[in-house]
Amino acid sequence: MLIENSKRMKKIIISLFVLFSVFSFSGYAQCGEDLLKQALKEMGDGQYIKDFKIELLKAKKDTKTGYVKFSVVLQSRSQYKFNVVDEPANAEKAIMQLYFNDKRLVSNFENGKHYKSCGFVCGKTGVYNLVFSFKGGAEGCSSAVLSLVKQFSESEMKGF
Amino acid sequence: MLKNFLYLFLIVAGVFLFSGCAGNSSGKSGLSDELLSADSLNPDAPLKLSEEVIGDVIQNISSPVEMATLIKSTGVAFSQKILNDPDNLDKYSTSYKRALNLGVFAADLGYINTFDKNSIVISYLLAVKNLAEGIKVGQFFDFTALKRLATNSNNLDSLMEISISSFNKMDSYLREQNRSNVSSLIVAGTWIEGLYISSSVIEETNNQDLIDRIAEQKDIVNILLIILENYKNDANFATLSTYLQDLKDQYAGVKITTEFGEPKKMEVDGSLIIVQDEISHIKVSPEQMTAIINQIKKIREFIVS
Repeated sequence: MLIENSKRMKKIIISLFVLFSVFSFSGYAQCGEDLLKQALKEMGDGQYIKDFKIELLKAKKDTKTGYVKFSVVLQSRSQYKFNVVDEPANAEKAIMQLYFNDKRLVSNFENGKHYKSCGFVCGKTGVYNLVFSFKGGAEGCSSAVLSLVKQFSESEMKGF
Repeated sequence: MLKNFLYLFLIVAGVFLFSGCAGNSSGKSGLSDELLSADSLNPDAPLKLSEEVIGDVIQNISSPVEMATLIKSTGVAFSQKILNDPDNLDKYSTSYKRALNLGVFAADLGYINTFDKNSIVISYLLAVKNLAEGIKVGQFFDFTALKRLATNSNNLDSLMEISISSFNKMDSYLREQNRSNVSSLIVAGTWIEGLYISSSVIEETNNQDLIDRIAEQKDIVNILLIILENYKNDANFATLSTYLQDLKDQYAGVKITTEFGEPKKMEVDGSLIIVQDEISHIKVSPEQMTAIINQIKKIREFIVS
């Protein structure tokens, strides 16, 4: 009887341990912190404005992840840089898209090529939408940084 | 013995499972008792805009980076006297005034950091820390680390990054905690102070780029007004909304037209660069700009006094 109780107890402990491990290590542990440091390093000489943490996980019944959207105010006559760093464990790289009034302006995935960063010369002050997703609705963790590269006068803008 | 081990294991597992939740509790809608004093916001006022929409819109209304960089590019000398005096801290005894002036000092810090004036940055960091603690968001400002960076002129870029990052994290936290009302006051304070500093530089230099930048804020006034009017059942918010409405009226004559062209795409050093196909053209008379600047000064005086 004592031996049976002992065996049962061992099974319970092992089950609990497995359960505990699943809760501890599922998903992307501490998504973002180290990625942000890397993204800031890759920002270059621009001035840091804001960073974005992208963590997309599938909900229980979903087969795909969706997207995450951020709003940013961009000023005219300013060149911005958006750079993205992906978690090495990601199955896919993050796709970043910038919209203004529902019009897609720039993406880091163009003509089958994935860019680590993209620049945007803004002509009109306003609220822009930054949308992140992963190809095929994959799960993933990434970090993006928005920085200011330079500003132009009205005459310099005409030169583009 | 095995039983004791099991109990110990369950306790440890429970601590790990639930400790992740403690820092992320969303709390009640809007207006935490632990933050606000009796004279502050009405927790029962229904919101016209959802927290999510407000959060979406105000995320980046008033980054101090662009304005400060533009000011520096005019070649104007740094002037501390146009900034809010950290000695004014004693005046800010309500959460309302603390939040507004936290925004003001954020803009001042952006200006100071852009001009690399690390000799005075510490007093402004202290002011920020003091006000942030007053509205229960002091945890985002590691004063020891910031002070260390400020005293080393080689670390000023890092100081700027960490200062801005701290404000961004604080802003995200406030919105996660359904305290967008506080966030909106901070944003308003930063935005007005940025315009105020720019206005002072315009009065000295008549710099056209700055004039155009202030004139372009016409659309941003509207957005800020919509957000603040969401809380207008609170007398403090209603007062600020009235001031902003007057500012909106001064902007009525400013004309912003859009020229449409072709988007341009280029690849530079492995990076894709897009030039937007919409370009704004601003038309504002000197009289209109003077009226706008005067109203900005009135609002700023209301906020910092």
